[in-house]
Amino acid sequence: MEPLSTLEIIGRCLWQLAPVWVALAVTFALSIRFQRRLGLYGKLFDNPVGMIGFALVMFWVYAAVFAGGFGWLVTHDTLSQFSGMKNVAPGTPLARAPEGAYPYFLLGGDNLARDVWSRMLVGAWEVIKIAPFATLFAFMVGITLGLPAGYYGGRLDLVLSFLANLILAFPVILLFYLLVTPEIVETGIPTYMAAVLFLFPIIFAVVLINSRFHTQPAKRNLYVALALIIGGWLYLGIAWNADPLGIIIFPAGLLVVFVSVVFVNAPSVFRIVRGLTMDIKTRDYVAAAQTRGEGPWYVMLWEILPNARGPLIVDFCLRIGYTTILLGTLGFFGLGLSPESPDWGSTINEGRKLLSSYLHPALAPAFALLSLVLGLNLLADGLREESLKD
Amino acid sequence: MATAPYDGPILEIDKLSISFFTRMREIPAVMDFSVTVQPGEAVGLVGESGCGKSTVALGIMQDMGRNGRITGGTVKFKGRDMATLSPEELRAIRGHEIAMIYQEPMASLNPAMRIGAQLMEVPMLHEGISAADAHARALQVVTDVKLPDPERILRAYPHQLSGGQQQRIVIAMALMSKPSLLILDEPTTALDVTVEAAIVELVKDLGRKYGTSMLFISHNLGLVLETCDRICVMYSGEAVERGEVATVFDEMRHPYTQALFRSIPVPGADKTSRPLKTIPGNFPLPHERPQGCNFGPRCDYFEAGRCDAADVTMQPVDADGQHVTRCLRHAEIDWNAPLVASVARERTNVGPVVLQVDDLRKYYEVAGNTLFGGAKRVVKANETISFAARESETLAIVGESGCGKSTLAKVLMGLETASGGTIRLDGIEIQSTPIADRTTQTVADVQMVFQNPFDTLNPSMTVGRQIIRALEVFGVGTDDAARRDRMLTLLDLVKLPRQFAERMPRQLSGGQKQRVGIARAFAGGARIVVADEPVSALDVSVQAAVTDLLMDIQRREKTTLLFISHDLSIVRYLSDRVMVMYLGHVVEIGTTDQVFSPPYHPYTEALLSAVPIADTRVEKTHIVLEGDIPSAMNPPPGCPFQTRCRWKAQVPGNLCETEVPAQRDLAPGHQIKCHLTDDILRRMEPVIRIAAE
Repeated sequence: MEPLSTLEIIGRCLWQLAPVWVALAVTFALSIRFQRRLGLYGKLFDNPVGMIGFALVMFWVYAAVFAGGFGWLVTHDTLSQFSGMKNVAPGTPLARAPEGAYPYFLLGGDNLARDVWSRMLVGAWEVIKIAPFATLFAFMVGITLGLPAGYYGGRLDLVLSFLANLILAFPVILLFYLLVTPEIVETGIPTYMAAVLFLFPIIFAVVLINSRFHTQPAKRNLYVALALIIGGWLYLGIAWNADPLGIIIFPAGLLVVFVSVVFVNAPSVFRIVRGLTMDIKTRDYVAAAQTRGEGPWYVMLWEILPNARGPLIVDFCLRIGYTTILLGTLGFFGLGLSPESPDWGSTINEGRKLLSSYLHPALAPAFALLSLVLGLNLLADGLREESLKD
Repeated sequence: MATAPYDGPILEIDKLSISFFTRMREIPAVMDFSVTVQPGEAVGLVGESGCGKSTVALGIMQDMGRNGRITGGTVKFKGRDMATLSPEELRAIRGHEIAMIYQEPMASLNPAMRIGAQLMEVPMLHEGISAADAHARALQVVTDVKLPDPERILRAYPHQLSGGQQQRIVIAMALMSKPSLLILDEPTTALDVTVEAAIVELVKDLGRKYGTSMLFISHNLGLVLETCDRICVMYSGEAVERGEVATVFDEMRHPYTQALFRSIPVPGADKTSRPLKTIPGNFPLPHERPQGCNFGPRCDYFEAGRCDAADVTMQPVDADGQHVTRCLRHAEIDWNAPLVASVARERTNVGPVVLQVDDLRKYYEVAGNTLFGGAKRVVKANETISFAARESETLAIVGESGCGKSTLAKVLMGLETASGGTIRLDGIEIQSTPIADRTTQTVADVQMVFQNPFDTLNPSMTVGRQIIRALEVFGVGTDDAARRDRMLTLLDLVKLPRQFAERMPRQLSGGQKQRVGIARAFAGGARIVVADEPVSALDVSVQAAVTDLLMDIQRREKTTLLFISHDLSIVRYLSDRVMVMYLGHVVEIGTTDQVFSPPYHPYTEALLSAVPIADTRVEKTHIVLEGDIPSAMNPPPGCPFQTRCRWKAQVPGNLCETEVPAQRDLAPGHQIKCHLTDDILRRMEPVIRIAAE
C-alpha cells in the first residue's frame, strides 16, 4: 500500500473524529436555540471569542470522553507496538496488518512503534480526567480558607495570608520533585497532605448545608448525613485508597499529582476569594443578613460567595488551563504518572529525545496541549467580557 | 483668546435627538430637546434618573461612546455646529471652553498626581503657558474656591483632602482655563448638606465673578431654585416644560411638573393633614414609551384619543415664547384648583416607651498596626446619648456623615456592643448583648431598612427566597407552605404584585427593591425599625410613595420608627420628634415643632438654612458654615461644634473651647447642648419664613 498524501491524512483524521463533530454541532444548536434562558452560559454565544474558546474546549472534552471512555475515534491500542512502525512518518500504511486493524498510522509512529494519533486522543482523557477535578479541589480549599480570612480579617487573615505567600514563594518544580521522591512518599507525607487537603470539600459541604438549614433541624440532619456518608466514602477512596465498597481505586501516583496541583493552586484561589470577600462584605445585604441574626458561615457561603461567582468562574477556566500545563510539566519530568501513560506531557518528553530526526511524535501532543489551553483562555476571556455586560 | 468676541447665545441646542444602539434594538435616550444658554446665565436641567439629562450633557460634548449617536438636531456652541468640528477642534473646546463637573469628585481626580500638577496641566495643555504662569493661576483659583492654605493644597494628593475639598478642587480645575460654559452634573449629590450649601454658594459667586454660563443638572428642585435663572424639566427623554425658574415654580403648565412638586415635602405638608401625593404608575422604559404624550398613562388630566394620538410638540404658554410646555391641554386645565385632599389620616396616638437609651457611649480603639500593636487611639463615635422612643412614634435622627448615627444604629441592632450606658428594650437591658446572643424575638423586634436600594438585596437570590429566609430565621410559620403564604401577604403589605416573588433583584426598580427591603424588615413583626436614609437614593416621585408606605405600615403595626436622615424636609414631614446629632453628641432633641422653630442649637440653625427648599415663597436666613466637619479621630476640645459655630463670640470667655456643654431643658421635652444663655437663645430668629401669600 502507498503512504497517504497530506490531504488524505487530514481527510481521514476529520472522518475519524466524526462523533466529535456531531456532538459539537448538537451542543451548539441546542445552546443557541435556548440561549436566552441559559443565563451567563447563554450570553457566551453572543461573543465570538468565547464561542471559539468554548468550541476548542468542548472539542477536547468530547474527544477525550469518546476516546478514553468509549474507545471510539482511536485507531489502535495505545500500548501495542507494531513491528516496522518505529518512528514512521504520518500516513504510513501498517506493515503486516493483523485482521480487522486500521490500515494506517494516521500521525505516524513513536519511538516504541506505537500509534501517535491514538495516544494523543487517549492522552486527552488523562488530562480531562484530572485537571478539572484537581482544580475543583483547589477551589474548595481556597474558598473554605479565603472566606473567613476576608470576612474576619485581623490575626486570622494575617496568619492564613502568610502561609499562602509562603507556599507561593516556594519553587513549584522543586516542590513536585520533593513530593514524588520515593523516600518522601515512603514517609507518607503526600498521603497525609491528601488527608488534610481532601477534608476541606467535606467541611465545605457540611457547613454549607448546616448554615442554610439550621432553622429546620429535620432537613438539616438528613442533608448533613447524606453529605457525610457520600463525602466520607469518597474521602476514604481517594485520600487513603481504602474504599470499603472497592469501587474507587486511586493509584498512589495519581494521588501525588492531585495533591501537588491542589497544594500549588489553592493559595492563589485563597487570595482571590479573600479579596472578593473583603469587597462584598461591605454591602448592605450582608449587613441585612447580620441584623437578622444569621451566623457568619451563612453570610459567607450564601450571601457573599454566590455574588463572587463571576470572577471565580473566569478564574476557574484559566486555572484548568494552568493545571493542564502543570500536568504536562509533571509528565514531562516523568513525575507522578506511570511512564507508559499516554498523557501529553510524557509523550512530549519522549518525543523530545529524537526531536532533531523525528519531529512528529512530539508535535501532535504539543499542539493538542496548546489548543486546549488556548481554548480555556479564550473561554475565560469570553466569560469575563459577558459577565461584565448586563 | 485671539478669536473675535462672540455675543450671541453661548449654547444653542435645537431639536436634539440621541439614541443608543444595543444588540437588541435602538434605544432613544433624548428626543426633540431644545435649550438655549445665554452668556452669564445659569440653566437648570431637572428630571428623575433615566430621563436623559446626563445624556444631553454628553451630547453637548459630542462624547456618547461607542453605542451612542446623535440622530437628529444640532448643538451649536458659540454659533459653531459641534457636529462639524474635527476631533482636534473638539479637543480644544472640551476642558477649555466647556468644562464639566461630575458627581463623584474622587473619580474626576487622578489619585497618583499632586493637586498642583493636575491643575497646572489644564492651561499648559490648552494655552501653552509656562509652568510658572500656570502655577500662579492655580494658586489664584485655589484661593478663589476658598480653600485654606492654597500652597499646601497644591502639594497634596487627592486622597488627603475631604470630599468637600475635593469637589472644590474639581471646580477649581474647571475654572483653570476660564471656560465659557460650565456643565455641572449633580455636583453636590455626594456631599453633606452643610458642605453642599457652601459649594452651591461658591458656584454662584464664581458664576458672577467670571461671567461663566452654567448648565446645572440636578434632580433636586430646591437646589435649582437657589442656583438657576431658567429651568428645563425633562421626563422620559423629552423636555416637558421650560421657562424662568419663578414662572415654572409658581405657574407650572405641565402635569408632570405639577405632580413632581406635589410629591416633594415642602413646609406645610404634613403626614396627617396634607400628605404627599404620589405619581401613580412607573417611569416608562425607553423602549416601552407610550404613543403620544409620554406622561399620558400617569397623568390626571389624560384624555383618551387626544393625548395618545400623536407626538406632542412644545407649545408656547406666554406671548414671547419664553415659557413653553409639552402639553396639549395646558390651556384647559385649571392649574390653581386646590389639591383634592386625599383622605386625611388620623393622627395615631403615641403609646408607652418601648426603647430607652441612657447615657450610651461607643468608643472604638484604633490600633496603629495590626501585627505589632502600636499606639492605640480612641475614636468616640457616640458620646452620652440619651433618648426614649415610644410605640407608634417616629423619631428622626438627623446629622451629617461622621455624626455617629450609623454607629448608634449598629449598637441598637447588636452588631456592636456599647462601651457604656444602657439600652433598654421593654425594660430589658440589651446594650452588651451581641446579636448572636440575643433571643430570636429580640432580633425580630429590632430590624433595619437600608439606604442603598441597589445594595440592600442579595443579587443572586429571588425576592421571595430572601423574604422566606427572614421568616425561617425568625421562626415564623411551621412549614415551607405556611412561610410562602406569609411571604405573599408581606408582598401585599408593601404593595408589590405577588409575581415578584419569583423575580431576581436586578429585574426590579430602585423603589421596588426598597419595598422588598421593608417587607423583609417586617417579616418577624418588627416593633422597632431603624430606617437608615431609606429614601435618599430614590427619585423624588418614588420617595413620596415609599415614605407613604412606611407611614402606612407604621400606623397599622404600631411600629416605632427611628428615621435616620439628613434631609430635613422629609424629617419635618413625617417625624413626631427629632434628634440632631453632631460628632457623636446629641446636640438637640425635641418635638418636630420645637426643633424646627427657634430657639435652635446653632448647628440645627445652620442645617435648616442649608437645606434647599423647592418653594418660591420660602425665605431663608443665609448661614454658610466655614470648613468641614472635624474628623471623629481628632475631635476639637470643648463643644464639638465650636470650630464652625457662628454664635461662639456670644459666649463669654473660652468656655466653648474648654468645656463640653451639658444637656439642658429649654421646654418640656426640648433639650439642647449649648453654652448660649437663655437670653440669647430667646432672641434667635426663625431661619425659614414663609412669605405671606
